[in-house]
Amino acid sequence: MSIPGKSAARAAGLPRLLLSLIVAAGCWQFSAAQASAEDVIRFGAPLPLTGPLAPEAVKQQQGYDLWAEQANKAGGISVGGKKYKVEIIYTDYQSNTPRAVQTTEQMITQDNVNFLFAPFGSGATKAVSSVSEKYKVPLIAPTASSAQVYDQGYKYLFGTFTPNDTLTTPLTEIIKAKAPEVKKVAILARNDLFPLAIAQEMEKSAKANGFEVVYFEKYAINTLDHSATLSQMKSLAPQWIFVTGYTNDLLLVRKQMVDQQIKAPVVTMIAGPAYPDFIEAAGQSAENLSSAAWWHPAEQYAGKDIFGSTSNFVKLFRDKYKSEPDYAQASAAVCGAIFQMAIERAGSLDRDKVRDELAKFDTVTFFGPVKFGSNGQINSLEPPVFQIQGAKPVVLSPQAIKQGEFRLGVN
Amino acid sequence: MLAVQVLINALLLGCLYGCIAIGFSLVWGVLNVINLIHGSFIVLGAYLAWAAYQWLSIPPWFALAIAAPLFFGLGYLLQQLVLNRVITAPVLVTLTLTFGLDLILNNVMIYYFKADYRKLTLSPPMGSVSILDVVVPVDRLLATASALALTGLLYLLLRRSRIGRAIVAVRLDRDAAVLMGVDVKSIYAIAFGLGAALAGCAGVLMSLIFPISPLTSATFLGKSFVVCVLGGLGSVSGALAGGLLLAFVEGFGSTLFGPSHAITLSFGLLIIFLIVRPQGLLGRKGFE
Repeated sequence: MSIPGKSAARAAGLPRLLLSLIVAAGCWQFSAAQASAEDVIRFGAPLPLTGPLAPEAVKQQQGYDLWAEQANKAGGISVGGKKYKVEIIYTDYQSNTPRAVQTTEQMITQDNVNFLFAPFGSGATKAVSSVSEKYKVPLIAPTASSAQVYDQGYKYLFGTFTPNDTLTTPLTEIIKAKAPEVKKVAILARNDLFPLAIAQEMEKSAKANGFEVVYFEKYAINTLDHSATLSQMKSLAPQWIFVTGYTNDLLLVRKQMVDQQIKAPVVTMIAGPAYPDFIEAAGQSAENLSSAAWWHPAEQYAGKDIFGSTSNFVKLFRDKYKSEPDYAQASAAVCGAIFQMAIERAGSLDRDKVRDELAKFDTVTFFGPVKFGSNGQINSLEPPVFQIQGAKPVVLSPQAIKQGEFRLGVN
Repeated sequence: MLAVQVLINALLLGCLYGCIAIGFSLVWGVLNVINLIHGSFIVLGAYLAWAAYQWLSIPPWFALAIAAPLFFGLGYLLQQLVLNRVITAPVLVTLTLTFGLDLILNNVMIYYFKADYRKLTLSPPMGSVSILDVVVPVDRLLATASALALTGLLYLLLRRSRIGRAIVAVRLDRDAAVLMGVDVKSIYAIAFGLGAALAGCAGVLMSLIFPISPLTSATFLGKSFVVCVLGGLGSVSGALAGGLLLAFVEGFGSTLFGPSHAITLSFGLLIIFLIVRPQGLLGRKGFE
């Protein structure tokens, strides 16, 4: 027969022991977290690591990782004489914008990130910026260019892409100068925030320069076949075909243009041709396609950031990833480098002080001169216009880094 | 002339849609399994064709001969070892199981092939033929012909062979088929294997036309679903009819109302069919 008192005491003892173990483990974890929080600066990076935008996420992640690696190799970020290691906390928002907002809030409130990088593209950046603004966390966007992101009057949002018209205006001017016989323009845009915004800029720019826009249509995201659209476009005999979208869309459109024997003196695609994987996949059909982007490896800036010169960044990137960097990777890396300089200048991890340093930032980096306007968007860059010639992008403008002349005819 | 061009485009695309959907339709019709792994099988088939061409210089037409037995074996084993265990459970269980398997396969593909887009570019390219002002791309034409040949083979198999008749018998009345001595589990595995083989072959053909990435599997799966609902489940000719109908609606819809409305129109049509003719164009209502 058991003694009730004794077994009850034993029963009560077990949970107490468990409880004390949990408390002890919690305290240890807390102190460990405290210790690590003292030594590292945490950057939150929500990315669409899975889902349709995954290729873009990989590019951004490569840029952040390269910067973090370089910063840590140099001992970390120096704040008031003490070195802090860089730690990037990634979350996967599965190409789903509302989830990007959720995970960002979670990173601020639970993972205690010090600063934030924005998700991919203008749409998700705009959504996430409302959260960073609410918690007053400085946020730098590597891939948001649309004016709608920056016209919200936010104080903690900064971005390294110039407005969309800085891509379309120089392009239109080059075509006008080099191909005066080109008059009729057809525009086909992916019905998505950035591709549509840049197509609308193109339409404005074309009309302002005296071109006739004979076709302007949007195609839905996930469109598998463009043959009907292209047949219709062909019947209007445009001399300049301007298509916007991401790698998959543009590869599909280009293949089906060849299938339908659609030729034009000028064919421009944004944003695919800037990516090496597009040029490789499109093969011969990429020849003479024109495009514009925010950065190009041929640029030669002597920067004051951790990467130093553009050529050093390109070399480090090639060594690590065995491929050529494009503007998305460079922009992500420069966001880290900008944060590093702003934190070091502020001499503190105080978010407001770092924010103020970002607002008055005016420094040349490997990416180009970086200075943010009053709305937070960079206003110091002159994006390059380029054309694929001999399976390589050749810069046509700006004059300072020009590599070749514009060629007519896309077959 | 534009109308003729759009018509030809739609005809070619319709046959390809039929080819994408036919394996899905077979599995759904015979096993009552909504096979969510179908899209990933198509993409895997496309990668197989890409790798065979890139590394071994085997053209896609010959890759079909590799893909068919390979995917049949894969599908057969998957059904025998995994799906047959839950085949009598409610449809939601098999749906969840294939959803999970799809997640695994898709992520394995992302891991190994990365999410980058690749393209199988034939060298030299096959080009296009133009008759009057109508242009027909040769690779699309050949892919369409192969798709029709595959569909024809499946039709003959189901009509003429003992295994085919057994598949149809199981589809019509599972219990009666058991009483007649049909080994239902084995027939299920063969049907699933055939579905997988058709998906793999469709992938090989699609690699000629569409960029390849694990991320496109959902688009292929979505098209298969719409084609099956429009054409009718489990019937070979139904998949073809559904594919053609979808391509015509997309092609002419896009020309008349703009490309941004093509998908809206096709899903509008899907809803109308679900309400007015749930058995599809050529499907029969029930078998009891």
